[in-house]
Amino acid sequence: MFWMGVAVPSIAPARSLTTRLGSCLAVALLLAGCGGGGSGGSAAPPAPTFTDAVLYSSAATASLPGAAEISAVTHHQLTLNGATLHYTATAGHLTARGLTSNAPEATFFYVAYTLDGANAATRPVTFFYNGGPGSSSVWLHLGSYGPKRLVTGDPATTAPTPFPLVDNAESLIDVSDLVFVDAVGTGLSEAIAPNVNLNFWGVDADAAVFRDFVIRYVAANNRMTSPKFLFGESYGTTRSAVLADLLESAGVELAGVILQSSVLDYNVACGVIAPIVSCAGYLPSYGAVGAWYNLDNPNPATAALPVFIAQMRTLAGNQYDPAVTAFLTTGAAPAAGLLSQLANTTGMPVAGWQTHFNLDPGFYHANLIPGTLIGLYDARVSAPIGSPLAIEGDPSSTFLNASFASAITTYLNADLQYTNPSSYVLVSNAIQAWTFTHDGRPLPDTIPDLAAALAQNPQLKVLSVNGYHDLVTPFFQTERDLARLGPLANVQLRFYLGGHMTYLDDGSRALAKADLAQFYHGATAAP
Amino acid sequence: MAADAVSISDGASARRCSRRGLALAGAVLAVVVLGAAAPAPAATPRSPPATIETTIRDPWVPPELRTPPRSPAPQGADLRAQVERKLKAGFDRADVDRSGTVTRDQARAAGLGYLVKHFDDIDRQRAGAVSFDDVKRFLRGRGAQLD
Repeated sequence: MFWMGVAVPSIAPARSLTTRLGSCLAVALLLAGCGGGGSGGSAAPPAPTFTDAVLYSSAATASLPGAAEISAVTHHQLTLNGATLHYTATAGHLTARGLTSNAPEATFFYVAYTLDGANAATRPVTFFYNGGPGSSSVWLHLGSYGPKRLVTGDPATTAPTPFPLVDNAESLIDVSDLVFVDAVGTGLSEAIAPNVNLNFWGVDADAAVFRDFVIRYVAANNRMTSPKFLFGESYGTTRSAVLADLLESAGVELAGVILQSSVLDYNVACGVIAPIVSCAGYLPSYGAVGAWYNLDNPNPATAALPVFIAQMRTLAGNQYDPAVTAFLTTGAAPAAGLLSQLANTTGMPVAGWQTHFNLDPGFYHANLIPGTLIGLYDARVSAPIGSPLAIEGDPSSTFLNASFASAITTYLNADLQYTNPSSYVLVSNAIQAWTFTHDGRPLPDTIPDLAAALAQNPQLKVLSVNGYHDLVTPFFQTERDLARLGPLANVQLRFYLGGHMTYLDDGSRALAKADLAQFYHGATAAP
Repeated sequence: MAADAVSISDGASARRCSRRGLALAGAVLAVVVLGAAAPAPAATPRSPPATIETTIRDPWVPPELRTPPRSPAPQGADLRAQVERKLKAGFDRADVDRSGTVTRDQARAAGLGYLVKHFDDIDRQRAGAVSFDDVKRFLRGRGAQLD
């Protein structure tokens, strides 16, 4: 990385003494040309560090009196498949304004990676965000297809921590410009008065303000004709479905939507609303996890997993789901033969199926292996119950948190030359104050939103990315949700070894990168 | 890359961290004030550590919302009907005078960019205003699954 230039900040409207003084600091640093850090080597010019002095808050009642659209701009290079790619990183804020009111709503923190020398008119641009709701985009930003990634060693928990940040050989920067954006009240994004963060903590308001950010990014960077993609994960897929409809309605045509580990209909998600609805959507995932721990009987080899999973889909749809429905409605006891079949194909003993016939992931991950807690995000990760990795309830999540938290701050400061007096909020409390109501239901069903987006833009392509070992958003449930759209040639599904964040698995990330490149090619080809 | 920040996993620690962050900002300011008199040593300013305010992760909903759905998930004709209702709701928001038709200006004022963009293709009669049936006909012509 070498420094080429930095945006000159204009002074944001002051909200406190700290802010006003901090703005002076930013200017002083630029004028003095002090700074440094990064990895430019001794021959590189001094690297002035850009300081945005605004203090951002993730509190529900927080808002800024106004916001400046300022950013730090740095230039980098990456070797991908033997070719050296030069790209520009832009870290900063843009203001989302009301679609019809044009009033400022929120200032969004984003990091954009754009390929130098490309034709912006035809080059794809992809907007990435995680879920929660209330999560920043840090997991996708530093774990998936950005130009840098953290080496997690997933699914082992033996990798050195904090994880090193390395050039990403599977970055999508050769295919698309990449914009990682933080939801309001996460990262360094905040509402602008008279709004407060809480105003954007709901299914509809969140999607609407994301629409307004996309519109602002497109206008500010002259990307009107660029093929546009959304890449959301988890609740980010809920957001993407609603957002796709809102963008299409606003006249911003999308080329593609990538759904990473989906939760498209909360009303049928037994892992979310409890086993009061059928957990049949989980059964094939239990089969894959049982196989990982060599607990299935017979235990399928990894190479045979797709065939085994196909059998599990049939078992789940034809036998287990009807039996669960009967159990939930009439209390009808399941047949003994079905119980032993379930035990053989999932690793959960018959006794577990007898007490928890509508088997929820909470029971499965805590009881599959006595004394061991297996992960929910990635069930291949495990830790002894009571151990530090298990103490927060999910070793696959706990193992990542500290490294991602330390890496984002260091990366913004040293590599992207962006500093700020606020703490970057990886995960905020927004989830506990979220308004889940959507389209007449107390919990969101976003398949109609995706269908509405497809109705307005029948050229829109959808790619659903799924992990066999994800016990948070099980792939078979996603298949069932998407099947409601009917047979559509422009909806594709892909399955990989791995959990919720399939991209953390080195093999799956490489496979998915190839699939994504093909998807982008298809979605941007002339009709 | 060296780790120079710590993660926070509970609310109390997050609050401690925020205070540390403010203290850090103050400390850096002091350096700059000094720097006005003599050039400050080359050092990268540091942001305070990142925070994690909750260990609740997606997807999650509050206990009071954990109830079975009151109606089945729509598919087929029911789904198409819901899609049509959604599109019609957008159209009706633009139809501020309840005339049953929407002009290009009304569409623009309501933020219905797709209608503005395709207005001439939808308004085949050159009437200057389009009905919802006109919109549906246009969308079906492009391949939309609408009844």
